[in-house]
Amino acid sequence: MTPDYFSTLLPAIVALFILGALLPLVFRDPRRESIASFVPAAVGSLLTVVLSASVLLSHQVFRFSSPVVAALPSMSLSFYIDGIAAFFMLIIGLVATPVSVYSLGYANSYSGKHSVRALGSLLNVFVLSMVLVTATNGVFSFLLFWELMSLASFLLVVYEHEKETNLRSGITYLVMTHIGTAFIMAAFLVLYFQTGSLSFDSFRASAGNLGPFTKDLVFVLALVGFGTKAGLVPMHIWLPKAHPSAPSNVSALMSGVMLKVGIYGLVRVTLDFAVPSSPGDAWLGMLMVVAGSSSALVGVLYASVEHDIKRALAYHSVENIGIIVLGLGLSVVFMSYGLETIAALALLASMYHSLNHAVFKGLLFMGAGSVLMGTGTADMNKMGGLAKKMPWTALFFLVGSIAIAGLPPLNGFVSEWLTLQALLSSYQVPNVVLQLSIGFASIALALTVGLASATFVKLFGISFLSRPRSQAAEEATEAPVSMIAGMTIAGSLCVALGVLPFVATSAIASGFGFDMGLVSSYAPFGPLTVGYAADGLRSVSSLSMPMVLLLTGSVGAALLGFAAVAGSGKKTVTRPYVTWEGGFGALGERTQYTATSLSQPIRTVFKWFFRPHTTVERDFFSDSNHLIKKSVSVYSETREVFEDDLYSPALRGVVYVLDRMRRLQTGKINSYLLYMMVATIALLVLVVFQP
Amino acid sequence: MQVPLSEILTLTAVGLLLSTFGVVVRRSFEGWLSAYRYQSVVLAGSTAVIAYETGLWEIYAAAVLTLVVKAVIIPRLLVRVTDSVKDEFKIEANPLVSIRLSLLISALLIALSYGLIHETLISANLDVYALTYLPVSLSLFFIGLFVMVSRRMALNQVVGLLIIENGLFLFTTALTQGVSLIIEVGILADILVGVMISALLLLRMSQTFDSFDMASLESLKDD
Amino acid sequence: MTSLAADVVSALQVGAVVALAPLLTGIMRKVKARTQKRMGASVFQPYYELSKLWVKDEVVSESTSWIFSSTPWIVAVATVTAAFFVPVFLPFSPFSAAGDLLLVVGLLALARFFTMLAGIDAASAFGGIGTSREMMISSLVEPGLFLTIFVVSLTLGGTNLTSLVVAAAKTGVVIAPSMLFALISLFVIILAETGRLPFDNPATHLELTMVHEAMVLEYSGRSLALLEWSQSTKQLVLLALLVNLFLPLGMPTSIEAGVTMLGLGSVAVLLKVCLLAAVVAYVETRVAKWRLFRVPDLLAVAIAVAMVGMVFFYL
Repeated sequence: MTPDYFSTLLPAIVALFILGALLPLVFRDPRRESIASFVPAAVGSLLTVVLSASVLLSHQVFRFSSPVVAALPSMSLSFYIDGIAAFFMLIIGLVATPVSVYSLGYANSYSGKHSVRALGSLLNVFVLSMVLVTATNGVFSFLLFWELMSLASFLLVVYEHEKETNLRSGITYLVMTHIGTAFIMAAFLVLYFQTGSLSFDSFRASAGNLGPFTKDLVFVLALVGFGTKAGLVPMHIWLPKAHPSAPSNVSALMSGVMLKVGIYGLVRVTLDFAVPSSPGDAWLGMLMVVAGSSSALVGVLYASVEHDIKRALAYHSVENIGIIVLGLGLSVVFMSYGLETIAALALLASMYHSLNHAVFKGLLFMGAGSVLMGTGTADMNKMGGLAKKMPWTALFFLVGSIAIAGLPPLNGFVSEWLTLQALLSSYQVPNVVLQLSIGFASIALALTVGLASATFVKLFGISFLSRPRSQAAEEATEAPVSMIAGMTIAGSLCVALGVLPFVATSAIASGFGFDMGLVSSYAPFGPLTVGYAADGLRSVSSLSMPMVLLLTGSVGAALLGFAAVAGSGKKTVTRPYVTWEGGFGALGERTQYTATSLSQPIRTVFKWFFRPHTTVERDFFSDSNHLIKKSVSVYSETREVFEDDLYSPALRGVVYVLDRMRRLQTGKINSYLLYMMVATIALLVLVVFQP
Repeated sequence: MQVPLSEILTLTAVGLLLSTFGVVVRRSFEGWLSAYRYQSVVLAGSTAVIAYETGLWEIYAAAVLTLVVKAVIIPRLLVRVTDSVKDEFKIEANPLVSIRLSLLISALLIALSYGLIHETLISANLDVYALTYLPVSLSLFFIGLFVMVSRRMALNQVVGLLIIENGLFLFTTALTQGVSLIIEVGILADILVGVMISALLLLRMSQTFDSFDMASLESLKDD
Repeated sequence: MTSLAADVVSALQVGAVVALAPLLTGIMRKVKARTQKRMGASVFQPYYELSKLWVKDEVVSESTSWIFSSTPWIVAVATVTAAFFVPVFLPFSPFSAAGDLLLVVGLLALARFFTMLAGIDAASAFGGIGTSREMMISSLVEPGLFLTIFVVSLTLGGTNLTSLVVAAAKTGVVIAPSMLFALISLFVIILAETGRLPFDNPATHLELTMVHEAMVLEYSGRSLALLEWSQSTKQLVLLALLVNLFLPLGMPTSIEAGVTMLGLGSVAVLLKVCLLAAVVAYVETRVAKWRLFRVPDLLAVAIAVAMVGMVFFYL
């Protein structure tokens, strides 16, 4: 692939997305608007996949300078696509393609009520800005596209602006993302003061010369800044508000892709700008491990008690980002001790999980959107029995649930296997405190994995299985073909990434520049291997998914054969009947479990975390006799620890200070002029009389 | 007898300062308008003197322009636009700072500006024009700002703006003789348009709120 | 061994496991009965039950979906596939190059996932009871299980089951302190995973004490047979794993040890597994089923014990 090929692809991608952004403004008919915006988006995303795949395959770095160069060289738009950027662009493209196809049908649910062309054009702007963020090579352009991405997503979050809650979520999102951007800017400024230039190339060149204090400062600032965008605890509070408020295709993109752009920033800073090189840097990795494991645990705990499908999925994103950051932190710890092999393993695990999460989270949000469109509600307690009414959505949601629960043979299991192996390899770190801490972190991770599969039993079971719990669920309709097509693409990616891990491992290995033979064999159907060597014991743990699948298939065939043969010639009949109701008669939809009741044991066990607040309201027939009650209502809600204890007091303090400062605004023009006069005199005196 | 240049210039400077006092002292719209006219004439005169001494024709042109625009056009314009405004809006009946006090403060401001310029004069090497007119222009600037602060009626605050502009004009002429005529014209046009617009806006304001009391506009604050 | 021979031997091993699993259940029931001063049914009773169920008609609830009907098959396939990777009677498994201990745990988790789904599918309160309790118990079992795997992997080296079992066989009778803690933790966890008292009563018919039973309450006929059989197979596999990793007495230390050694080794494993099953059954008669919200305490004990084991290894 010659550079000429690349240099036509990138402008083509940009042009397609701009076309998708501007074209729908021309049409009047919502149908044409959605086609005009989402078809270019789909084609553009596909080309992004092609571009990133070619960069990864060719092992070259692709540089591109935009012909429009601003007056100042530090503000020029130059692009630099190396393996890391290409990998993240691959993630963007792989998720944006099915979501664009999906949006063709999904946008129709908005026609008449909201502007479809706004959705289409903003979506194109959003995806384009994300692609360009990963490709840029200078601080100015990075921040420009970063802001564009935040603003486009903000506008999409408040798309359904007639709901008050959506507006509030949007404001929270906007504030949090700008706090994050401030930290990112601070990190870049520190690097700028160190190197004197705003280009990433100079940051890369001076990576080895950063003093320890500078490196730590940059690292921490970047962790907070990019962690806010990625949704790390405790900066995650915007996630469970913003993702449910946005339209489902946007949530799929935000959850699947935008969080990974935050991870991209973190990876860039860690691997390019502030490279860990000595054991003194290990604490930075441990910081990430702690942040990651607590995010994972907090996310999944809050997800397990949610009964709104999209909020639950949003909390699961927090959990998975925690797992990704955990892997990244492990990689940093191993790198600082020079343990190349397992650092590569941990990085592989983390990046594989990023890819997996993008794909299956996109799939799950698409499924949730389909449910929302079919039933009109996102509350699980009002759903049920949808597996019969919406069979395709149910199938793909099941695929997504199995994937995210980390069960074989899908992709979630592979990345979880890699992460667990990375944790198990921590015995090689020569520091006992670190070994023990990593051991404790693995407890958190294991608990997370267990809770995740439990939560998805609840999510899938309550929504799709059992009987309908409301009229809306009774009359649910299946999603249109385009939405199913989008989900099919994502679902097949889940299966492919699970059964053929070599595709992803070779992409990651070539992107991040380590020898693939360290962790995987070169054969396409070969196993993933992790070596163990200590105290005279040697072994190799390996996992070969194609083999597992083959084995499972043969076992299944054998079992079916056995069932067909062994029956002593008698053919059994399957009779349909009602569920056993203990002889009490017809069951209503209230006798089955709801989402809240299913998660009640977990809520009780983790009471110390949720601190549920219960209010009981009693209604009496007459005030004189309180023994006979008309009705008793119990309301129980869990507290949001981070919002109530961390952010609310801080906000109150800020508002208090600002209120005091408001006294300066008197409303009188005379006083404003007085301020001006006093300021001018003071400045002049200062200038003239300074020593 | 040849009067030394510095004497003449000082005379004109004194005239300018006195005229400024005349503006500050007046309570009514017509009062300060006529004082402003007077100040503009003095200003034009000083500019002519500078022109005579330096021999540059541009400064002559600037002097003539000043005379025409500031002494004639602007007052006429203001009178015409504010014809329909009620008289009570034109008289500063209850100023925020009393007239006596404002005189005192103006004197203080003049002293301040002379002091500031004196400090800078030690280091810089300025010619006689700058020496005379720089402190005057700075004090005109400050006094104009102070007038805007202390006046309650909106219409009377316009005079502060005009005094500031006078000060700036003097500043540029004194410091850089032979300043391009284009810039002078530009500044004058700017002030002309500015005055026109502010007068029109004030007219609208009087019609909407039926009051020019700037201090009472505070009730509009969204609290 | 050539790979074809290895595959055949492995298939035979799994066949033996699947065939002998109900016998183990029978032995446990017999031991329980005898301890309770009853005669108890014959040790082959589970076989009679399974064959009876196999030819009966099924009644399937109308509220269920295809998940309900396919779950028994998925559970059976997953459990039997897991059995391929565990060295039960022989000290090696030819498929160790394809999957390790984590894969076995994953496959069993897949079976559990579908069982939980099937519990909700019937839209009855019983199914919900079973699933919600199983959700809680399984999520708390995971950290203990992973810590135990951690300790085992540190002491014996890696997660490749063949090398783990061989390394355990080499250590002989002497057991490291960290392994002792891991043994206790794994025993408690196996009690939880196989649904034994004090976590769950496999012989109960009261919803107060049901966990697994509640989830499979709606099943009948062939599907129920498959589910019961898979449960027994899981039990045998897990007990064999515990025996081979922690109590390797009598196990030949290498694959090439010759047929007689291997034969003696498998008999030894069989005996040890039966003994362990008897111990489990005896423990069952000594404890009552614990109140549901005391169960996390017991699992926390398992986690803590495994943590101590890990600390012991490092220090």
